[in-house]
Amino acid sequence: MSKIVIIGAGISGHTAAAHLRRKLSKEHEVLVVSPNRNYQWVPSNIWVGIGRMKSKELIFPLEPLYKRKGIGYKQAKVVSFHPEGNTIESKPFVAVEYVFGKNQGKTENITYDYLINATGPKLAFDMTEGLNPGTNKAYSVCTYDHAEHAWQGLKDLINQLKNSDKKAKVLIGTGHAKATCQGAAFEYILNVEKELVRHGVRNQVEVTWISNENDLGDFGMDGMLMDYNGFNMKSKDMIEMIFEDRDIKWILGAGVYKIEDGVAHYENLEGEYKTEEYDFAMLIPAFSGHGFKAFDKNDTDITEKLFKGFMIVDADYTPRPYEEWTVQDWPETYQNPSYKNIFAPGIAFAPPHSISKPRKSKNGTDIFPSPPRTGMPSGITAKLVADNIIDSIKSGKESLHHKGSMGNMGAACIASAGFGMTKGSGVSITTYPIVPDYIKYPETGGRDIGKTFGDIGLAGHWVKLSLHYAFIYKAKMKPFWWLIPE
Amino acid sequence: MTQRISKSQHSKMQNIFIQFFKFFYLNIRILKIVAGGHGSTRG
Repeated sequence: MSKIVIIGAGISGHTAAAHLRRKLSKEHEVLVVSPNRNYQWVPSNIWVGIGRMKSKELIFPLEPLYKRKGIGYKQAKVVSFHPEGNTIESKPFVAVEYVFGKNQGKTENITYDYLINATGPKLAFDMTEGLNPGTNKAYSVCTYDHAEHAWQGLKDLINQLKNSDKKAKVLIGTGHAKATCQGAAFEYILNVEKELVRHGVRNQVEVTWISNENDLGDFGMDGMLMDYNGFNMKSKDMIEMIFEDRDIKWILGAGVYKIEDGVAHYENLEGEYKTEEYDFAMLIPAFSGHGFKAFDKNDTDITEKLFKGFMIVDADYTPRPYEEWTVQDWPETYQNPSYKNIFAPGIAFAPPHSISKPRKSKNGTDIFPSPPRTGMPSGITAKLVADNIIDSIKSGKESLHHKGSMGNMGAACIASAGFGMTKGSGVSITTYPIVPDYIKYPETGGRDIGKTFGDIGLAGHWVKLSLHYAFIYKAKMKPFWWLIPE
Repeated sequence: MTQRISKSQHSKMQNIFIQFFKFFYLNIRILKIVAGGHGSTRG
């Protein structure tokens, strides 16, 4: 009998738990530890942030589902990792603290045979002075409750504008020099712009995109060359076309470092310190690791064996200049090299380096996007980790046949560009591979042009909406859920 | 404001009939890419 402990119940952790439970007999224990009581389909948060979807449509409670499916669940947060056990407990364990219910505040050591760290990122609002969702007129859509606050703020502004001739400024983008997840901010700015039109106040509002990207359409992936209506078009040209068509201004190469009430302070690549005023802002914070500590059997600190901010896995972390980076640097099994029974799929693993070209301001500040790892690769990497653990348990020896490098994996970014069954729009972009392979595809920007394409239109909105329903169906583990790919 | 997408293109982008077929086309194309497999780069 084996015990698999999964930390985190987001897209990655939940996917791993679902596949493990489906494929392993009941003699093996699958246990999820998460401080969150609800599963949330994060990609739909942007619709909550414009008031077109209720948060209850994208969340559901985890405990009843897990109980029904035979998956253990503890609503607790991890405090420390003990991959060798300690002087009292011979098995490896994680120390957790309950965050809800009658056990709230109590700690417990949870032993495991296999550990999947699917803790995702910490939303590091504290890395930008004054950036705290719901204060200083700046909001976030990173969680469903943040998105609800964002809609409240936006609604208040729209109501003020409807009753006056007042002019206003909306600022949307990244709230830190090394933030990632530009795609979510991109979706949100297009949806907000569309809602301003729908409410008849668009001509009173200046809408501005602010980002740490060097070019529009970088998305933390060094941009892409894509097939658009039969032409090979750069993503920066496509996004520029969309922004200009919608009268959205942009500020690029901006490292936001401070937020005051209605004022964003940023440094640009020229080394200039500037400010941008706003009446409503949505800024994506930096993502960081959770600051976990790890100890060996003698309680000596071995954090550096497990973590490099995020968790260390089978990547090549040797520092090298951008020109020498290769796709082979990227991990394939998400296994920790020091402790072979620990894995970190999704956003929990430490990337070997950024995907976008690193850039410094004239003052030496790093201003460029960190690598994105969205829902699709999170699900794919979680499934392959689960499959390797299943094979290892069934064969009785380590099996790592399932591999999935982001340098040999496709992703689809179906960006909502406005909500509505007949008035909606979407910008659909697929990319293969996620990490550009400049050796394999030297003439097409490191990407397979046959699999990297863009499209704009109402169908994109329908695709995004159908993905919303399909993935919630899948997450609820309804009949034949496993037929829906990650 | 600069009109970068022509009115006829906008009409096509919002035409329910055209977009209905494009919906299936997009789904199939995306599925082929995403479910088409993934693997190693070191082999």
